[in-house]
Amino acid sequence: MWLYLIRSSVYWYVRKMIKWFLHKITKLCELQRICYTLSVGAPRTLNVERSLRDSIIPQICGLLTVLDARSSERTFYFGRTILLPNAMSTIAHVKRIDKSERALNALEQCVDKIWSYMQLIEEIKHNASIQYDCTNDVHEKSLLFLWDELMPNDRLENRVTKQWQDIGFQGDDPKTDFRGMGLLGLDNLVYFASKYTCLARNALSHSMHPEHGYEFAIVGINLTSFALGLVVDGSAKTHFYNKRNAPEYEDFHEFYCYLFWEFDKFWLDKKPKDLMEFTTYRKQFEKNIRQKLEKTDTVFLIDVPNDHPING
Amino acid sequence: MGLLSMLKRLRSSPDKELRILLLGLDNAGKTTLMKKLASEDVSHITPTQGFNIKSVQADGMKLNVWDIGGQRKIRPYWRNYFEFTDILIYVVDSADRKRVDETGFELNELLNDDKLEGVPVLVYANKQDLALAAQASEIAQELNLHLIRDRPWQIQACSGIRGEGIKEGLEWIGQNVKKK
Repeated sequence: MWLYLIRSSVYWYVRKMIKWFLHKITKLCELQRICYTLSVGAPRTLNVERSLRDSIIPQICGLLTVLDARSSERTFYFGRTILLPNAMSTIAHVKRIDKSERALNALEQCVDKIWSYMQLIEEIKHNASIQYDCTNDVHEKSLLFLWDELMPNDRLENRVTKQWQDIGFQGDDPKTDFRGMGLLGLDNLVYFASKYTCLARNALSHSMHPEHGYEFAIVGINLTSFALGLVVDGSAKTHFYNKRNAPEYEDFHEFYCYLFWEFDKFWLDKKPKDLMEFTTYRKQFEKNIRQKLEKTDTVFLIDVPNDHPING
Repeated sequence: MGLLSMLKRLRSSPDKELRILLLGLDNAGKTTLMKKLASEDVSHITPTQGFNIKSVQADGMKLNVWDIGGQRKIRPYWRNYFEFTDILIYVVDSADRKRVDETGFELNELLNDDKLEGVPVLVYANKQDLALAAQASEIAQELNLHLIRDRPWQIQACSGIRGEGIKEGLEWIGQNVKKK
């Protein structure tokens, strides 16, 4: 404990000295130096984030409190046209950066990404907490739409039917399978099946393999949980910060689709002897993805065309 | 082979270490119960594809809990996990009236299996927090628990999500292991 305190205070003073020294010779503040020296994307944004979080200047701390509050109330997206210029003028004022400077633009993009990501965490947590409700028309329609997208040639005989097991739900009624992931699990599946219809149907047909198959929907919900975990614990920042735009809800779906597509390839490649190997391979898959996310240039993209519809 | 050697290791460790098998239909609440035993968050549980294992310290015992998925397609694999089981915990969703027969059938299959011969069984009548939940005594009757003669058994009402009734079940396990 003491060692930790000493170490962190030494670190703090050394850092402060280095910052002061660099400031004297370059005439630039840390934020400017980050923007000029680090490449656009995760390296720059992660460092801007660290620099802002480490700041002890009251105006900057106040600014962060406001931005944090807006993203946790899920109103940052909505207010960003006002919030961002305000934030920039506070930072420019405190750090004495000229308003016409290029670094300020770069900084604005970083700030946008950082707090959009924070709001994204809240958005997905919120949707995961909405329970699937059979009496809600929107939920029900969405579920039936999922069936139609995945099984265009098979009509669903009943709302409650064993057919649901064909697309990998556990029983006759999918509603209970959504438990921990709520509507987010359903939204993810629906997005995958409607935007990447061919890939999704491809994965579905792999999942039906008599020996090396898996449960499409259950694995899908499990991957929702995995994706949520990666975003919430911050591991997914590299991917989201490397994308051109600041993250929004739809970007989470894209991230999810990538994971599903990648998992399907991984599982197929491993040729597991039965479903019980899921536990082992799921862990291995998670390790692989986490390793990729540790590299600062990682951005996940589905790089195969999705335009060859499969019939059936 | 990995699994087998792991089992052997579990077997040879101190006598207060128990191998517990957690079974039941899908959506009975097995994973929630297991996480609750380990004092973990139970708000984001997803259906179990495959199985989960956890070691939990409770009542002076070290419990190695095997939580196996309950969906129909996984049930044929349950047998692979029977060996060296000290206690079987069977979880029932007390509010799922439609599947009482199904859960009774699966329990019977387990009780008639040679590999589980004489293994004490604790039935958790889970989800007592739901308004539609049947009482533990009702579940016991529907599952014909009173006909079990070849092993100790117990039914315990509980609510995994609230963490109620779980401890009482563990106490029963503690008592029945000492007898062994």
